[in-house]
Amino acid sequence: MDILLEVIETISLKILKIKGETMAVMTAPENTPVWVDTARCKACDICVDACPAGVLSMKPDAGSTLGANIEIVALEACIGCNECELSCPDFAIYVAEKKEYKFAKLTDSSKARQEAIMNNGYRLPEDYKEAN
Amino acid sequence: MAFNYDSYLRMEKMPTLWCWGCGDGIVLKAFVRAIDSLGYAKDDICVVSGIGCSGRFSSYVDFNTIHTTHGRTVAFATGVKLANPTKKVVCVTGDGDAFAIGGNHTIHGARRNIDITMIVVQNFIYGLTNAQTSPTTPQGMWTVTQKIGNIDPTFDACRLVEAAGATFVARESVTAPKKLEKIFKAALEHKGFAYVDALTNCHVNLGRKNKMVAAMDTLDWIDSITVSKKKYDAMSEEERLNLLPTGILHHDDTKDEYCDLYQMVIDAHQGKRSKITQDDFEKKI
Repeated sequence: MDILLEVIETISLKILKIKGETMAVMTAPENTPVWVDTARCKACDICVDACPAGVLSMKPDAGSTLGANIEIVALEACIGCNECELSCPDFAIYVAEKKEYKFAKLTDSSKARQEAIMNNGYRLPEDYKEAN
Repeated sequence: MAFNYDSYLRMEKMPTLWCWGCGDGIVLKAFVRAIDSLGYAKDDICVVSGIGCSGRFSSYVDFNTIHTTHGRTVAFATGVKLANPTKKVVCVTGDGDAFAIGGNHTIHGARRNIDITMIVVQNFIYGLTNAQTSPTTPQGMWTVTQKIGNIDPTFDACRLVEAAGATFVARESVTAPKKLEKIFKAALEHKGFAYVDALTNCHVNLGRKNKMVAAMDTLDWIDSITVSKKKYDAMSEEERLNLLPTGILHHDDTKDEYCDLYQMVIDAHQGKRSKITQDDFEKKI
């Protein structure tokens, strides 16, 4: 069975190569613009700073060395600019490809949330209310 | 779907040993993306790294790799390239590695214009060994070897390699990862000695005692000292004083590449041509 799987994998990789597609692609969780791997996050705050739309925030995490970990607080607000993924030094954030997901537009409420997060030390204030 | 970095990394070495927020990871990411977009096979790349935090690079990427002695990356890479002229050889070193102990190797690699891409992960300090003054540490900053403040004048490595003969010289910071990726692509595609100064943050050893404790503080400082080449060129001498230009600073495709010249030596030894004389070169002195 294992050998069979291996053969199938080799063939599919070859097909990908023939089609000229890049090998470095991964399957994303379905219908998700941005997702994080909390096990890889070292809580450096860079991604939260990079996001223009207030999608990411740090949350307290006693198990982490710096006492915090990454959290997605507004998934649907992601505009797909990819800045968080590119500036994460620890391969903890992934953003879906533009052709596969219809990202939101940058709105005033997204900007306001981002400002609140930045003013509160990279964390979304607990009592934060969305502006309409 | 998203870009899968894992296929280019040695996952058994993950997570990286770099500190939280270390820009080395951003450089690694930009490098992997650049390699992927150029479509190189993993076996066509050789990454040579030296000693320092940047030396970890060769452990993390799943290409042909060598982790060499302190400062000798260009020397090792020269050997690899001459033996395998069809392969792409990339040096990844730090500022201390490339300009202090390995200064002469860097100069002569650039002088020969050998087809090597040299990425210097420039964090203004000896980070791995805990904050000693490096050749690029700005004057007045605290370091563990100059606790009263660094008095050593800093030097502009881009101008050094350009003067030495490098045919592609660029600088970009990790605060602009998209631009960094573009620069890496251009450097990898260039035939000849390509030098990239990748400015990065060491908030742990440089920032901690210089009022830039968090990763973002040091990154903001890097942003404040860099300006695009276009803007830099339009500035007066006074305005340029505390700024470093970013982008492609020098690009020259006219100079002979060293592997091509070396082919003359091979041909002469194999009797395919006569001995090399001064007549073979346009520039004689």
